[in-house]
Amino acid sequence: MALAKDIYQQLEAVVGPENISGSSAVIWSYMYQPFGNTKGVWAETLPEAVLLPKSTEEVVAIAKICNRHHIVFKAMSTGWGIHNLPGVKGAIVLDLRRMNSILEIDEKNMFAVVEPSVICMQLQVEALRKGLNCHIIGAGSNTSVLASATSVVGYGPDGLSMGFSGRNLLGVEWVLPTGEVLKLGSLGSGDGWFCGDGPGPSLRGILRGWEGAWGGLGVITKCAVKLFHWPGPAELEMKNAQPNYTLKEPIKYFRASLFNFPSLEKLGEAAYKLGESEVGYFITRLSPAFVGLQMAGGMNFVRLWESGMPQEMLKYALLFVIFANSEGEFAYQQKVLDQILEETGGEASPLAETEEMQGLTAISVIKVDAVTRSCFRSAGGFNTSFGAMDTIDLALNQVRAGTELKNSYIKKGVLMEDGGDNSATLVFDQGHMAYTEVLLMYDNHDDKSTEGAMAYIGDSNQACLKKSLGTPIFQLSQVGTGKHGLFSPACFNYDKWQKEIKRVFDPNNTGDPTAYTEPKK
Amino acid sequence: MLLDLNDYRNDMKRCARCSICKWPPLAQMKSWRFSQNCPAISRFNFHAYSGGGRMALGLALAEGKLDEADEELSNIVYRCTACGACDSSCKYNSELEVLWPIYATRARLVGAGCFREEHGPIIESLRREDNPLMKSKSERGRWAEGLDVKDLSKGGQAEVIYHAGCLYSFDPELSKVARETVTLLRSAGVEVGIRGAQESCCGSMAFQLGFQGEFIKFAESNIDDWNALGARKVVTSCACGFGIMKAVYPLLGKKMKFEVVHISQYLDELIREGKLQLSKKIPLRVTYHDPCNLGRKSEEYVPWKGTEKKVLGQLIVREPEKTVHRGWEGVYDPPRDVIRAVPGINFVEMERIREYAWCCGAGGGVKTTMDDFALWTAGERIAEAQSVGAEAIVTACSWCERNLRDAAAAQGKKMQVLDIVELVKQAR
Repeated sequence: MALAKDIYQQLEAVVGPENISGSSAVIWSYMYQPFGNTKGVWAETLPEAVLLPKSTEEVVAIAKICNRHHIVFKAMSTGWGIHNLPGVKGAIVLDLRRMNSILEIDEKNMFAVVEPSVICMQLQVEALRKGLNCHIIGAGSNTSVLASATSVVGYGPDGLSMGFSGRNLLGVEWVLPTGEVLKLGSLGSGDGWFCGDGPGPSLRGILRGWEGAWGGLGVITKCAVKLFHWPGPAELEMKNAQPNYTLKEPIKYFRASLFNFPSLEKLGEAAYKLGESEVGYFITRLSPAFVGLQMAGGMNFVRLWESGMPQEMLKYALLFVIFANSEGEFAYQQKVLDQILEETGGEASPLAETEEMQGLTAISVIKVDAVTRSCFRSAGGFNTSFGAMDTIDLALNQVRAGTELKNSYIKKGVLMEDGGDNSATLVFDQGHMAYTEVLLMYDNHDDKSTEGAMAYIGDSNQACLKKSLGTPIFQLSQVGTGKHGLFSPACFNYDKWQKEIKRVFDPNNTGDPTAYTEPKK
Repeated sequence: MLLDLNDYRNDMKRCARCSICKWPPLAQMKSWRFSQNCPAISRFNFHAYSGGGRMALGLALAEGKLDEADEELSNIVYRCTACGACDSSCKYNSELEVLWPIYATRARLVGAGCFREEHGPIIESLRREDNPLMKSKSERGRWAEGLDVKDLSKGGQAEVIYHAGCLYSFDPELSKVARETVTLLRSAGVEVGIRGAQESCCGSMAFQLGFQGEFIKFAESNIDDWNALGARKVVTSCACGFGIMKAVYPLLGKKMKFEVVHISQYLDELIREGKLQLSKKIPLRVTYHDPCNLGRKSEEYVPWKGTEKKVLGQLIVREPEKTVHRGWEGVYDPPRDVIRAVPGINFVEMERIREYAWCCGAGGGVKTTMDDFALWTAGERIAEAQSVGAEAIVTACSWCERNLRDAAAAQGKKMQVLDIVELVKQAR
């Protein structure tokens, strides 16, 4: 235990002896972080202790101790990814696992108040019972609702009907790095959780800006998020269909359809039209590899891929889901869809039409529960590239640039062969926003493969700059200073403002700056 | 050697750290209240206590980053019921082994001489008395005194041998289940034999604590004895015994000339065949608790041995392809069918069932050495049963029954805990 004994005792007095540990065994379990690691699976910098606070008051007390003794701290919720760990020596980790309550679901005003470790699936199952639903991010329903709403990105495949996490954020309770508690939006004026921008201080831009502060600006201990209308049953019953769970009964007025288009341009045109027509629950452009990896793993995927079937059938494919309230609405949406397909040359693929595929697609669309399956099991290592949110046209340019660049690395043998185009293009808010993430699979225990993956990510950043494709979404090797150094000059020198914010909100720099930014000197 | 941590390096180093091991399969989650699947992480909260955390610790140990003698490591390793819920949840999304690295980590500690003080008497009792309960082996067959049943310890053979298991043999409250089992089988016309004082532990406790040498001794001895006694069917009430006999005994490579059957399966079969008729109404709202060892842990386990190769650039495939153990092939329907066959019964399911059932808390040596943790875990299960309005929990495992009963008593909860055999007996 490298923390001074008296400091450890002060922290222990806050959380209780059961909820603090500096033991090697506990620390090493946190050090295992394959996602976002630039080399292997272990983080390089060991924290000195892990604490499990239970309340805002405990977080405040810990922050104040850290400020008194100049100890850096970093909070995590579910802790998936190396950005959850502090990157400086001598720091402590606050694992917020014990702060895991759904404090309120306000049916009338359609929002929920959650603590940091409530995962999307926990909130969804409770919301469904009240005829409501919540946005789930693309990383899956095993992730924290609060983390994506307040601190890290927050895109998800249901964006067409449920926005994205940053936009869905309402009232916030925020423990600043200094230990002061700040309440944002209507909560700040004592008017409850219903609004993120007032009455009361609206500091959403400072709290998270576009992509969040990645835990570098204190700890958000509670937040409210918007909920959305759910037209389905209060509970979705499952049956086993090896290796998946699927719906026991079809959902009424729900239909998932897969369409092929003659070109990427026509696909984009359809996406715009579908957005403008304000129909649909879910829309995504699916690449052959992305679908193939959802359907199969290991040799099953190899056989599927080598058959050429996904490449042939899903070259320019769009998955579109109608989920309506009534027979009449369902018919209307279907009619709109048919007309747009006629205008854009889209043809329905028989792949999605069977009852089995409808059930499986419904689960993956509603519950977003198969991300680990499609991303991590192939080669072990997984990362992502591109992904700035802009227009549908720009998202399709991301597909083109990503495919070309990735194929050059696939040819070198350092990345998994997936046709280069292993991506999902998600469309948000009636079609006026979209983005593409270009995924890459590599062996994170093979130095050559890992180095190749990192080189690809570096080149993809350059491609974003040179081809004006926006700042990448989630390049973990490039979060924090590295990313800002690259992109800030092309984006109004935004990091100057970040550094100023960091200086003012965190005068002692106790909030781990690694994934956010160092304060202005 | 059955358990070598190095055999699981590739599993451990490919954990995605996604935390899916901490919840029931996401599509099966039904409420916030019962949205956890792992007693250890739910009770102790540090990531180290989860399936993924245990994989990380196993890998750190295998790579020499941690020392076997680390005291906190030992605490974490054994504060786990080895229920396998993490494994089932993980398998929904991947093909990684999670439970077997947990076993192998324990074996690694034991192999390095780093076993816990409280395990000493258990292993000593197994060595001396053939049971982990510190009971005299001479008392083992007493539960059957006065029963009209063939005692094979006195000679003879039998095609159907009933293996009561340690807890049903020695626990004064539960041993009536063993007696009722024999009575039911006899009344159904089954010529059943027991091994009386010569019956010995299945070895499950030794296996789960990491003492693989002890386990192998018991397993081989049991197989030899049952073979020698002419058994065609070994029927057991002990779910732990059933699980280990189905999943692990076959790995020893000894010919098992008998089929292993759990009493719930046998009762179901006898009821279907009309050899056991249930006529008495039991107007009780009951739920069923799936014992881990009867459910997900009884699935046949095929350890993967082979080579990995890369295709399509960096895609890793195994040759031969791996058998994936999702826990879906456990014994789930027979006990439910038996319950449904009881006239007047009102059967209701809990939220966490079958391969994603919440553990009772007794397994992996926890009941014997950390009773407070065991009772806390059982309390969670009782709360779940209460949430669906059950008046009784029916189960089919002696350790589950013991622990659930103890928890209900300790926590002052009104909940009957019934063995499936007791239920059938009452309905006759």
